[in-house]
Amino acid sequence: MLKTRIIPCLDVIKNKVVKGINFKNIRVMGNAVEMAKYYSLSGADELCMLDINASYQNRKTFIKTVESIAKVINIPLTVGGGVSDLSDITDLLNAGADKVSINSAAVKNPKLIRQASLKHGSQCIVVAIDGKRHKGKMRVVIKGGREITKKELINWAKKVQSLGAGEILMTSMDTDGVQNGFDSNMLKKVTCNVSIPVIASGGVGSLEHFYLGHLTRSTGLLAASVFHSRKYKIKTVKKYLSSKGVPVRL
Amino acid sequence: MKKKVIGLIDGQSGNIGSINKAIKDIIKGRPYRLKIIKGYFNYSSFDKIILPGQGAYATLMSNLKKLKIIKPLKEYLENNSSYLGICVGMQILSDWGYEDKITRGLGVISGDIKKFRNKKLIIPHMGWNTINLNNDDTIITNSFDKKDFYFVHSYIFQNIRKSNVLAFTRYGQKFPSIVKKGNIYGVQFHPEKSHKHGLNLIKNYILKS
Repeated sequence: MLKTRIIPCLDVIKNKVVKGINFKNIRVMGNAVEMAKYYSLSGADELCMLDINASYQNRKTFIKTVESIAKVINIPLTVGGGVSDLSDITDLLNAGADKVSINSAAVKNPKLIRQASLKHGSQCIVVAIDGKRHKGKMRVVIKGGREITKKELINWAKKVQSLGAGEILMTSMDTDGVQNGFDSNMLKKVTCNVSIPVIASGGVGSLEHFYLGHLTRSTGLLAASVFHSRKYKIKTVKKYLSSKGVPVRL
Repeated sequence: MKKKVIGLIDGQSGNIGSINKAIKDIIKGRPYRLKIIKGYFNYSSFDKIILPGQGAYATLMSNLKKLKIIKPLKEYLENNSSYLGICVGMQILSDWGYEDKITRGLGVISGDIKKFRNKKLIIPHMGWNTINLNNDDTIITNSFDKKDFYFVHSYIFQNIRKSNVLAFTRYGQKFPSIVKKGNIYGVQFHPEKSHKHGLNLIKNYILKS
C-alpha cells in the first residue's frame, strides 16, 4: 500500500534554516545540511528545501547547500524558491535535487511548466501553489503571499496538471505559520479536482493536524516548525498516524 | 587481483548523482572500478552495468540511440551479463513502451510498458510502497520482503511471464516491482532514494553477483 509521506520543510537562506511567521520575523533554526541529515536518518520520507531569499548573492551559497545536502541524504529532495526559468531548474537538478518546485514563475509564465516537464519529465516538476481567500473566493497568491493574483485557485490547480506538473505543493496562506492545522477545506477542494499527488502545507501544530491532513486525500504532509522546534520527532508523528490506521513507512 | 568494472550508463534521463555516489561508497576499498558510460562501449570490458532512468520510455530509448549505446548494450545483455535497470532503465528491457508514442524496447524480458489501468488512481504513483517477494535469490534476499521503497512512475510492466516477476507491489492493482531474467535485474522503484533498504539492495547487486 502506498504510504502517506511525512515531509519536513527547510526554509533556507544561504545555508541556514530559518522560520518566520507569515514570512515575517525571520529566526535562524539551524544549519541546513545538519538538519537535512538528521531528518533523513530519523525517518523523513522526503525533504523539501526552499530558498526564501533567492537574491543573486545568496543563490550561489544556496546551490552549494543543495549539493551538500544531496550528498548526505538518500531520500528524495525537492528544491524550490527563486526558480524563474528553465536554466534555474537545470541548475538545481544538476546540484542533486530530485524534484524542483516552481511557484511565481509558473503563475507569470505557465508555459514554463510544460517546457520543464517535457525537458526533464513530469515526475520532477512540482508546482507550488499558495492560496488565500479574498473577497469570498480562493485565489492564487505570489511573492510569499504579498500579491493576490486574479487566478482562481481550483482552475489554476487543474491547469498546472494539464500543463504537465507531476505534483502540487499546496500551501494555504490563511493557515501557514500559525499552527492551527492545515486548511482542510482548501486542500479537499484541490485534491478533488486533480489526479496528481498533492502535498499539504501550512499550519501543522499538533499530531491530530497530521491526521486531518491525511483525510484531505493529500498524499504528502509537509511541516516545518513542529519538527525544527523538536516538538515532535518524525517517528512520533508516524506512530500516531499508524495508530489511526493511516499507512506510513515505519 | 583484477578489479571488476562497473559501468554506470548516463542516458541523460535524470540525475545519476545519487546512484553514482551510492556505488562509490560501496566500492570504496574494494576491488571494483566505476566507469561512466556516455557513448559506444566495448561490452566485454564490463562486469556489471547499471542503468538508472527517469522520465519517458521513448526519450530514454532515443537518447541511448543517439549516444550509440543500444547496440553494445544489446550485445552485453544477450550474453546474459549482469545488469541492473532502475525505473525506466528497467522498463526498456520490455518489448514495447506505450508512453507518449509506441516505442520498441530492448526486448530482453517479454512484455509491454503500459499505464496503470485504474482511472481513479492518483498518478504518478509517487512515494513509498511495499514490495512482496515471489522468490528470493542471492541479491534479492528475504530481508527485502515487505519492505518499503520509493516509487515514482505512471507506467508498469504488463503481459510479463510470471517467472520473470521476482517481486510485486500493489497500487490499484498488482504490478511487477522487481523483474529478473538470468543475471538481468530490473527494479521499478529507486533504490538510490530508498534509504537503507535501497542501499542494501545496490550493495547486494554489486558485491554478491
